[in-house]
Amino acid sequence: MMYDDDALDRALAALPLEEPPAGLHARIMAATVDAPVPAAALPGWELWLIAILSSLALWLAWLFVTTPHAVERLTFAIDRIVEAGGLSSASTLLWVAIGVSAAWWVTQISVPQPQHAQKIRPR
Amino acid sequence: MGAALAVDPPVAAPVVDDQALIAAALAGHGEAFGELVARYQRAVYNLAVRTLRDRTEAEDATQEAFMRAYRALGSFRPGAKFSTWIFTICYRACCDRLAKRKRMSGDEPADWADPAAGPEALAERNDEARRLRAAIDQLPEKYRTVVTLYHLQGKQYEEIATVLNLPLGTVKTHLFRAKEQLRKALTL
Repeated sequence: MMYDDDALDRALAALPLEEPPAGLHARIMAATVDAPVPAAALPGWELWLIAILSSLALWLAWLFVTTPHAVERLTFAIDRIVEAGGLSSASTLLWVAIGVSAAWWVTQISVPQPQHAQKIRPR
Repeated sequence: MGAALAVDPPVAAPVVDDQALIAAALAGHGEAFGELVARYQRAVYNLAVRTLRDRTEAEDATQEAFMRAYRALGSFRPGAKFSTWIFTICYRACCDRLAKRKRMSGDEPADWADPAAGPEALAERNDEARRLRAAIDQLPEKYRTVVTLYHLQGKQYEEIATVLNLPLGTVKTHLFRAKEQLRKALTL
């Protein structure tokens, strides 16, 4: 059969669309509207770092609580550092810098939320 | 008794336009997004089937396209056509899959053995629709997609250019060449 422009156009227009698989709609809905909203989506290394820092903080808190006269000792240590001019020593400044960096890093942690989760209430 | 069994005459449900459905979906009505899926899944699936020439992968690409659309629904520009938007997303998802396929195996399959071709389909192999579909499947990917969007889904040149991110002239050239190749294939 010879096809001119019109015949080809007619044949193309008459070509029926294929039906999608029966469960496709349900699959899409399960993956979108009915999908549970993910909790925090942090990279693995950030989770590890948070866990390590939290453990360290807990350990320090536990030391502080279980050490007798902890408040007095801490005050004494601070006094000694100030008296000895410790803030001018390189190692102290290094530790202060590390502490400040860690604090800044914690403020930069973002917990991404899917855009739709902010606008569409879960059912 | 008869009055109790009386049934109200069916009332035609008002047709809600896509913009209203998107607004409803953004307001938290999941069923509105479900209606959008119901309206466009067939067309999106067909675009994916023709582009990828693999029904299983096309099903995945369709799901992926709607997932991407759902996540980005808040960024949908009011006044734009949802069909153009979802076709664009679907086409990009298909391109990603084609690129991955090319990396894995070197190139897309030269000949597509239709896995859905059962006894009935084989019996009508000589039918015009069957031959035409086979001829479309033999076109290069860029021509196949243009033909699919233009003829199978009634798209306009401008919309095809938007979906494929091509200049209008290129779309027209692709379509012209695609029709030339189809004509040759069908008159052999």
